[in-house]
Amino acid sequence: MAAPLELYCWKGDWGLPSVDIDCLTVLAYAKFAGAPLKVHKIANPWRSPTGTLPALKTREEGSLSQPSKIIIHLRKQKYNADYDLSAKEGADTLAFVSLLEEKLLPALIYTLWVDSKNYVDVTRCWYAENIPFPLNFLLPNRMHGQQLEKLRLVRGDPTLEPGEEIEKELYRDALECLTLLSQRLGSHKFFFGDSPSSLDAYVFGHLAPLLKIKLPSGKLQQHLNSLDNLRQFCTNILVLYFPSEGRDIPNRKMSVHTDGSDFDNEPHKRRNQILSALFAMGAMLGYAILTGIVTIKRTHPQEALVSAGHDDGGEDDED
Amino acid sequence: MSLAAEAFVSQIAAAEPWPENATLYQPLKEDQILLSDCASSLAVQAYLRMCGLPVQVRCRANAEYMSPSGKVPFIHVGNQVISELGPIVQFTKAKGHSLSDGLDDVQRAEMKAYMELVNNMLLTAELYIQWCDDNTAAEISRPRYSSPYSWPLNQILAYQKQWEIRRKMSAVGWAGKSLEQVYEDVSQCCQALSQRLGTQPYFFNKQPTELDALVFGHIFTILTTRLTNDELADRIKAYSNLLAFCRRIEQSYFDEQDKDGQSGSSRFSKGPSLI
Repeated sequence: MAAPLELYCWKGDWGLPSVDIDCLTVLAYAKFAGAPLKVHKIANPWRSPTGTLPALKTREEGSLSQPSKIIIHLRKQKYNADYDLSAKEGADTLAFVSLLEEKLLPALIYTLWVDSKNYVDVTRCWYAENIPFPLNFLLPNRMHGQQLEKLRLVRGDPTLEPGEEIEKELYRDALECLTLLSQRLGSHKFFFGDSPSSLDAYVFGHLAPLLKIKLPSGKLQQHLNSLDNLRQFCTNILVLYFPSEGRDIPNRKMSVHTDGSDFDNEPHKRRNQILSALFAMGAMLGYAILTGIVTIKRTHPQEALVSAGHDDGGEDDED
Repeated sequence: MSLAAEAFVSQIAAAEPWPENATLYQPLKEDQILLSDCASSLAVQAYLRMCGLPVQVRCRANAEYMSPSGKVPFIHVGNQVISELGPIVQFTKAKGHSLSDGLDDVQRAEMKAYMELVNNMLLTAELYIQWCDDNTAAEISRPRYSSPYSWPLNQILAYQKQWEIRRKMSAVGWAGKSLEQVYEDVSQCCQALSQRLGTQPYFFNKQPTELDALVFGHIFTILTTRLTNDELADRIKAYSNLLAFCRRIEQSYFDEQDKDGQSGSSRFSKGPSLI
């Protein structure tokens, strides 16, 4: 038997196997279909073969990054969770996945990446803490920009700004979508009978972050929590298919600063400050020596002392 | 709009009956309208006819800029302007006209899901073919879209629109698809719709719903619009129950009313017939 396929995805937290919607979908599908994947849980998208996460390294088709393509590829490898579905159920899967993408996903993007309270306190905080230095300064902001751009294009409104009006519109659609899903699920364990299919993977991927991540402004969360069967559905999947994640929930206190400035949330703040101060000092000193503002002459120790005195003065001004 | 204001507006909407002079606006039918807009417009017309609500169709070159959301079609009823099928369905519901009241909760969830399937795949595929296939964009979409304007405005507007749609395609992950893959997606979507329809007259048995109007609008328009090649229509022709479904809706909701000899502006505006 050939070596298992390699899957790269965002690492988990809050008791989730991964923090990203697409990664969760793929991971859940792989579990449902019993595909033996070698999973690399990383926090640096630049280490993935496609530069984005999730990514599946395949032998025939190179690396895939869209969840739908990854699922199709796994299906071709005979890891098919939809094998028992009738043609009509297959059609329903397609329809409900569209419903998720059109109605719920924009609101999820909004709540995780655009809502300023959630973004500053939780999303950016998590990514900045987990992405390795120095990318942690660059990537969270870039991802924020990409998500906002995506939301604008999907809504067809190039001037979309975070605000009450757009939030109300998005959440209205999303709440309706959650209610519809809850009605469709009813009292069943999974959407189609007793075994999970790709639709269950998509729904789980979209709902689990909402259920587990503690967000300061959580209108969507409240609504999801009021729908018992959907909440139960996610918990079930977590317990049955990702038993190792539930155990090691880090008892991390959520850092919810509302008073401090944005910079308070940056990790390794003190270390980075010292590093940048040292770097600036080194650069100034180097420039001073190169251009001859400071000259080091061993023969006249007094003169050198005078120059060094000037140099120190300059640094004090800069700081 | 605040919640209180919105509640007030919907109360007013509910109180007023449907006026005789309701108007639907769309781009110029002969020279300007594109496949995707034409499909959306036909879907709204079919929906209103199914509800038995009269509406006059007016073509305006600047319909896109008149619409509150920038999307066509939109209807002007009394002192309100509403665009797109979803909000229009809600609006008519507030006035007491609804096609989906007879459905149970699960059926309503399925209806909404299939409507999103049409929007997510069929509409996106139409936009892709119009603006991302270079042949179609150069021969049909850009000249038609900008036909009311003179040089250089026509070039600017057409390329602006194309640029916007292409960026949207990359945002939804369609930018990397080939034309063949898009046709494959259309087939997949029609396969799903055809499965769901089965041998029933409408998607939820005897009574048409807004889903029937939406599917009719898109499939009928694709079948009756000439593009640079017939591939798109051929993909749909493989599903005979969808074709029969379109004929059924055309006969029951569009033909009879034409025979009544209505005035010119409210004349059926869907273009060529299937039969």
